[in-house]
Amino acid sequence: MPSLTKVIFLKELRETLRDKRVILGVVVSPLLLTPALMGAVMFFASKKAVEQQTATLEVGIYQEAAFPELTDYIEKNEGLTVSPFDTREAAIEAIQTFQTRAVIAIPLEARITFQANGSAPIEIIYDQANENSGNAHNRLQGILREFNQEQTKLRLISSNLDESFIKPTEIKSTSIAENSAVVGFVLSMFLPYIVIMGAAFGGLNTAFDLCAGEKERGTMETLLVSPASRYEIVKGKLYTIFIVSLISAICSILGILIAMAFGDQIIQTIFGESMSISYLNLLALVIIVVPLALLSSAALLIVSTFARNPKEAQAYIFPFIAIFLFPAALSFVLGAESPIYTALIPVLNIAISMKQLLGNAFDLSYFSIALATSLAYAWLTIRLVSHLFQRETILFRS
Amino acid sequence: MIEANKLTKTFRDRKRGLVRAVDRVSFTCHPGQIFGLLGANGAGKTTTLRMLGTLLEPTLGSATVAGFDVAKRPEDVRRSIGFLSNGTALYGRLTAREMLEYFGRLNGIHGAALQTRVDELVENLEIGEFQKGRCDKLSTGQKQRVSIARSIIHRPPVMIFDEPTTGLDVMTSQTIMRFIEQCRDEGLTVVFSTHIMSEVERLCDEVAIVHHGKIATEGTVSEIKTQTGEDVLENAFLKIVHQLEAEAAQQIHNS
Repeated sequence: MPSLTKVIFLKELRETLRDKRVILGVVVSPLLLTPALMGAVMFFASKKAVEQQTATLEVGIYQEAAFPELTDYIEKNEGLTVSPFDTREAAIEAIQTFQTRAVIAIPLEARITFQANGSAPIEIIYDQANENSGNAHNRLQGILREFNQEQTKLRLISSNLDESFIKPTEIKSTSIAENSAVVGFVLSMFLPYIVIMGAAFGGLNTAFDLCAGEKERGTMETLLVSPASRYEIVKGKLYTIFIVSLISAICSILGILIAMAFGDQIIQTIFGESMSISYLNLLALVIIVVPLALLSSAALLIVSTFARNPKEAQAYIFPFIAIFLFPAALSFVLGAESPIYTALIPVLNIAISMKQLLGNAFDLSYFSIALATSLAYAWLTIRLVSHLFQRETILFRS
Repeated sequence: MIEANKLTKTFRDRKRGLVRAVDRVSFTCHPGQIFGLLGANGAGKTTTLRMLGTLLEPTLGSATVAGFDVAKRPEDVRRSIGFLSNGTALYGRLTAREMLEYFGRLNGIHGAALQTRVDELVENLEIGEFQKGRCDKLSTGQKQRVSIARSIIHRPPVMIFDEPTTGLDVMTSQTIMRFIEQCRDEGLTVVFSTHIMSEVERLCDEVAIVHHGKIATEGTVSEIKTQTGEDVLENAFLKIVHQLEAEAAQQIHNS
């Protein structure tokens, strides 16, 4: 690093580290706030999952006397509180007023059809727009399925037939993935998005302060009139934003790992396995984040160089957000085994590389192409910002 | 020494088309002399000074500062000048001392030499009491003293002042003016832009009245007063400007 670039870089870094907004956004928020929020989400998700499996649900039966075998079977279920309804309208009203979650409607001829070895038509009335009603519907479907299996077995026995008579094949699925890989796969769904957001927006305040802010405060003119060349100035500023973006991305990764470590019990409840990332994968994650941080730093510096003040820079940020947010969001939809040409698409290639690393689908060719092209895009963006910094019509825009 | 020779700056404006912000401006300023650029807002003073400070590249013409051509040796020019404008232009999160050290390093002063020079400025400008205080916590007067120290940390032979007292209170303005006089007394070449007549009368050995990017007239304050037949510089300035406006209107009318 040439000496004047180093002087500028060290000064900018010192000032940045004294900026409470940066410390809060780049270090405190990802390391404390993200784990706390994720922990809260995981806690409530697991609580909900347990509740859905074990909570006692209030359901009803309309015309319960029409099919006593089924009514008895349902009423024996310990997870249900069953209320009878005399009319269909009363049943619907009870669902709408949340007095009951779902109602089984039994037609009067149901038992005759059942006894004649036919299929008795059973209706479940529920409110699809109500989550609890939906859960009750699922629970009732499960109970009816069990009832059907039991009755089918009895019918086969009475006909001297084996169960295999109605089951020509016995299907068994075997996943070769270890449970930890499943956890990794789930992690790969959202971690790239969070890391990309961390790298892209972590350096935002710093970038706006270092150029648009300096223009507004008048310090840019003082700096430009110093012996440092514009190239040295732009490099000093770029390195600072890059370091902040990189720290932000790394803190985003660490924040998620902290959340996973503290939420291990919850993860075990949900997935039946602890989560772990190998040091090698972690290193690869950090390596692939480097060009992303470089690219976003240079892009932010372009916005900041063009703007006359930080407020104007904020107004120009929307295209920047789209450039980073869209590919990051697209990575939610695209799988880890995306076509090789996606390795040429900036930001998306990094998101998919991360998915591959976390989801046990690492592809060295894809990773190498993504790394090389991302570095190339970062280099081009750096060239562009250096060029803009030389133009007085941009730097002294009024 | 500063020598400006037909310095011209044009730029393209979306509404006004090609604008000549500075039009063939020539003047010479010698060491130990204060040369003033007097003009209304938008006259072209700041653009002229920015070209001398290598912030803007001249479209036409040339200039040398401390013997260095502004277009060919911009970095040597920047090493030779101290620049002070109307804002204090300090970094809020640096202390006063760190601010001086930073600009010292940018000007190639390091180690013990840097500390000695900073100590010297801290003592001369009475910064000691607040040297460890962050710049954003300082009073306007304190900020101005740090700003002055920043501009001379590298002992430049040439000082450029761009409306340095605009927006300042009387006390702080006095500090700046005393500093400008001190620069002249120490043999520095000083160029100074303003629209405040009293400052010109007090400070300038020579003055150029700038209007619409051109030098309308140049000379000592008393020469300009004699030339216009006015006793007060403000009246002389207004007479020249009104005369130029009338000539311009006549030209438009004729064409």
